[in-house]
Amino acid sequence: MAKTRALVKRRKAIRNIRKITRTMELIATARFKKALDRAIEAEAYTNKIAELAADLSANATEIRHPLLEQRQVVRRSLLLVLCSNRGLCGGYNAAILREAVARCRQLEATGTGLQLELSGKRAIAYFRYQGMAAERTFTHFEDKPRFDEVDELAQRYLDDYIAGRIDRVEVAYMKFLNAARQLAVVETLLPLSKVTEAASRRPGRATAARPAVAYEFLPDPRDILEELLPVSFKVRLFKCFLDAAVSEQIARRVAMKAATENAGEMIKILTRQYNRARQAQITKEIAEVISGAEALK
Amino acid sequence: MAGELRCVVVTPERQVLDEVVDFVALPMYDGELGVLPSRAPLIGRLGFGELRARRGELTQRYYIDGGFAQVRGNVVTVLTPRAIKAEEIDPQAATRALQAALAPAPTPDAQEARLKAQLRARAQLRISQRVRGEAG
Repeated sequence: MAKTRALVKRRKAIRNIRKITRTMELIATARFKKALDRAIEAEAYTNKIAELAADLSANATEIRHPLLEQRQVVRRSLLLVLCSNRGLCGGYNAAILREAVARCRQLEATGTGLQLELSGKRAIAYFRYQGMAAERTFTHFEDKPRFDEVDELAQRYLDDYIAGRIDRVEVAYMKFLNAARQLAVVETLLPLSKVTEAASRRPGRATAARPAVAYEFLPDPRDILEELLPVSFKVRLFKCFLDAAVSEQIARRVAMKAATENAGEMIKILTRQYNRARQAQITKEIAEVISGAEALK
Repeated sequence: MAGELRCVVVTPERQVLDEVVDFVALPMYDGELGVLPSRAPLIGRLGFGELRARRGELTQRYYIDGGFAQVRGNVVTVLTPRAIKAEEIDPQAATRALQAALAPAPTPDAQEARLKAQLRARAQLRISQRVRGEAG
C-alpha cells in the first residue's frame, strides 16, 4: 500500500510542476511576440540610418572620424555582457557566458586591459563566482529595453572612447537570426567597422546598388555624417539589447516546452507504475483471501 | 499637383507617423524648411523644434528632438531619437527642465549640454503654448 501512496504523491507533484511550466511557456510566448514586434519596429529606423549612411558616403569622398579609425594599440577593451535577470531559460545564459569568458581569456593572453560591464543578474552572479571584478552592473534591462536607457549607456561609451579611456567596445549577447536560430556572439561595436553596414542586419539589402540620387545636403555631407556616426553606434547597441530580449524569450519558451513535455512523459510512466503496483496489491489480496478460505475447509 | 507627399516619422522604438500629406514643415538645425510634393532630394540635419504635417485643414504637430531628415521621391523620412505629439508635451516638466538648464554649469562641456537642454525645453514650451493658444 505504501508504494502506491508514494507514487500518487509524486504524480501529483509532477502535475503541479507541469502546470507551472506550461504557464511559463505561454508567458514566454506572449513576451516573445511583443519583443519581436519591438525589434521589427526598430528595424525601420536602423535600415533607414544605414541607407542614409550609404547615400552620404557615396557623396562624401573621404571620411575620417575618430569612431571609424582602427587604433594601432589596444590598451583597454570594454566588454559588455548581456544576460538575463532570471533563470529557467535553458542554455541561454550559459552560451553567452561561455563566449564572454573565452573572450576575456583571449584578452588576458594578449595583455589587454579589460573593463567588464554586466547586464543581468545571471551574469553578475557568474562573474562574482569566477572572482572577476565588474566595472559596472545593470539589472534594469528587462524584456523591454528603452532607447533612453540604452542611449545613456551608449553616450558614456562614446565619451570614454573619444577621450581614449577605452580603445574598443565589444558586446557579448545572443544574436537573433530567426525564430529557430540564435547565436551567442561577441561583436565589436567600436571602432565602427563600416558606415554603410553599420546599422543594418542585412547589409546587402539596404545598400544594394541603387541609382545614385543627387541630394541637396544641409549643411554638408561631412557634417551630417559626423552626426550620424554616433547615432549609428547607439542604434547598433540598442539592437543588441533588443536581440538579447527576443532571444531570451525564445530560449525560455523552448526550455519550458521541453520541461512540460518531459513532465507529461514522467506522469505517463508513473501512472503505469502505479497501475501495476495497484494490480499487484489486488492480486496479492485475492490470493490471501483464497488461501485463507482453502485453509478453513 | 505632381503626386502626393508621404511623411514618415520613425524613432528607434517605433514608427510614429506614416501618412499622406499636402505639406510638411521640418525643423532644421538652422530654421524651418517647408516641403511640398516634387521637392528635389535632400538630406539634412534636424534641430529641436516643431514638425508640422498638413493635410487639407488638419495639421498634425510633433516635437522633434534632433536627428535627420531625408526627402526622396515624394517621401519625407524623419529619423529622430524622440518625437512627441504636441498635445502630449508636458509644459510643467519642460519649465522645470528649463530652470535646471539655466543654472550655470561648472565645466565648458557641461555648459554645452545645458545650452542644448535649454534649446530643447524652449522648443517644447513654444510648441505646447502654440497648441494651447489655438485650442483656447
